[in-house]
Amino acid sequence: MMAERTFGTKLAAGFGLTLALTLLMTATSVLTLRYVMHSKDNVITSARVNLVGSEELNGHMESRIADYRAYLLTASDEYLRATEQDRTAFLAVAGELRESMTDTTSRELLDAVIAAEEKHAALLAPVMEQRSRINDLRNVAQFSGNQELKAARIALQRALGALIDRQSVVVDSRRDESSSRATMASAFIIVIGAVLILGSAAVAWKLSRDLRREVGAAVGHIQSSSAQLEAAAAQQASGGRDQASAMNEITTTISELLITSRQIADSAQRVSKIAEETAEAARTGDATVEQTRTSIAAIRTQVDQIVQHMLALGEKSQQIGGVADLVSELAEQTNILAINATIEASGAGEWGRRFAVVAEEIRKLADRTAGSAKEIRALIEDVRGAVNTTVMATEIGAKAVDSGSRQFDDATSSFRRIAGLVSTTSDATREIELSTKQQTTAVEQVNIAASDTARVTRETEASAVQTKQTAAHLSTLSSELLDLVGTGRH
Amino acid sequence: MTARSGSVSRRLDRLRDDFDRSFAEPARSHDEEHLELLTIRAGGRPYAIKLSQSSGVHPDRPVTPLPGPQPALLGLAGFAGAVVPVYDLAALLDHPVAEVPRWLVLAAGTPPLGLAFHELDGHVRAAVSDIIRETGQDGEDGGHGRGGTLRGLVDLPGGSRPIIDIPAARALVHALAGHAQATDEENAP
Repeated sequence: MMAERTFGTKLAAGFGLTLALTLLMTATSVLTLRYVMHSKDNVITSARVNLVGSEELNGHMESRIADYRAYLLTASDEYLRATEQDRTAFLAVAGELRESMTDTTSRELLDAVIAAEEKHAALLAPVMEQRSRINDLRNVAQFSGNQELKAARIALQRALGALIDRQSVVVDSRRDESSSRATMASAFIIVIGAVLILGSAAVAWKLSRDLRREVGAAVGHIQSSSAQLEAAAAQQASGGRDQASAMNEITTTISELLITSRQIADSAQRVSKIAEETAEAARTGDATVEQTRTSIAAIRTQVDQIVQHMLALGEKSQQIGGVADLVSELAEQTNILAINATIEASGAGEWGRRFAVVAEEIRKLADRTAGSAKEIRALIEDVRGAVNTTVMATEIGAKAVDSGSRQFDDATSSFRRIAGLVSTTSDATREIELSTKQQTTAVEQVNIAASDTARVTRETEASAVQTKQTAAHLSTLSSELLDLVGTGRH
Repeated sequence: MTARSGSVSRRLDRLRDDFDRSFAEPARSHDEEHLELLTIRAGGRPYAIKLSQSSGVHPDRPVTPLPGPQPALLGLAGFAGAVVPVYDLAALLDHPVAEVPRWLVLAAGTPPLGLAFHELDGHVRAAVSDIIRETGQDGEDGGHGRGGTLRGLVDLPGGSRPIIDIPAARALVHALAGHAQATDEENAP
């Protein structure tokens, strides 16, 4: 049980045990002393009350004897009253003694004294009454009963003497008894003290043994731990030096990083400014794009009108062609009629020949008409071709306008997307700028922290050196402590 | 446009002048120095027909088809109450085409005969001096083509044209129809 407890507990338990034994011894000594004192008190009380009371009783008796003898001589009332007072005091002391005496023999002796005194008082009263009646005393022989009184007085004095002797004997016996008890108490205290010394010695031996064993082991551990701590401190010191040089390199690198970060922040700011200008230009370009869209729509309307007019022109040309065909048909029929008239005229003699001349003229006119109609037809075909070409060209132009319009819409949407992207780019650039500034601040803080870390590392190195010295000192102290404890094992 | 309109106005002036002059000039008559010719196209080839050998020219006359063994016979057409057989001139000249002829020329003389051709180029007056090998007196060029239907050439501004002899064509038709023997069939090219 004791081995599992701490040394402090053991120490407290040992001191507690010693203290309990000391308390036990103190209490026993007090009790014994009280016992001895009570015995001695009894002796003293017996001596003071009983022996002195007996002497006082004897004194009062002697005083009464002297007083009543003086009365018998003088017959003075003064001695009469003194005699009565002495008896009263005698009876009072006798009463007190009767209360305080415990010894049977003494009580019997006291009862004998009281009985002798009553007998003496009974014999004295007639004598004293005789004296009151005698005015002239010449001889004591005048009193009757004088001899009996004398015998009673002697018996009383003897009884008193016996009582006093008895009290002396009682006091001596009680004194001897008390002395023997005191001797026994002394022996008891000596025994208790021996037990206490033995217990304390056992506790001290036990504590000393445990102290040597446990503290020695602990100090040995401390010594080995000190050696390990010393080695670790040496390693920490070298590691601290390496770490300090590494931290210096880190600080240098962070400084370069800080410079680069500031350059990035400047570049981002410039990019942000350019993006702002680009966004402004994009907004201006948006208005231009709207105007261009309106112009393109107007061009489209004009082209549609041109196409409509061209188609109307083609239709009119067609109608003209129809009329020209009619003229051509009329010319052909006229020609045929002229030919047939010529044929008919050829067989009609002279008049026929003259008619044939007219028919010839008619035929020539018809030929010219047909030629003109053909020319008109060719012109109309040219016009139609031109109209068709123009319509086709215009249609192509309209399609080109449509395609251009669509492409322009695409370009517009692309432009707006570009404007939006430029706006987004501007925002992103601002965020980049802000982030880079924050990064710069963070890098500055990191730089400060790295400097602090380098300083702390140097301090750690110094602290490790100091720790190493302290560990060596601790090792030396452990050896000294082992020597002090008395175990040189470690 | 102004140049073109100017040229048109000049042509109009000239036309008006010519028309007025035709009334101012003395009356002319057909003389022997000139020959009236119809310039036609049959089966895509240019030919000329003497106006004096025809009795009329008609376009777009309805021709009723007539079943028969002759591919050249297109059918019958009515002219002034008479029924006239119509023969395809291109088929008679041995270069038939699928296209239906539009024009008809009525041959002079009897019995009536219609010769169909595809296009009428016009009516020209050619000088006699422009006619070469008018007749076949030398025996070499007395007629060529199928049945001797082509007799002579005429030089015209559009080029030389063979002249179709209508009586020879009538003889050929008669020979085909079995009315008379074709004497010179072997001479056909």
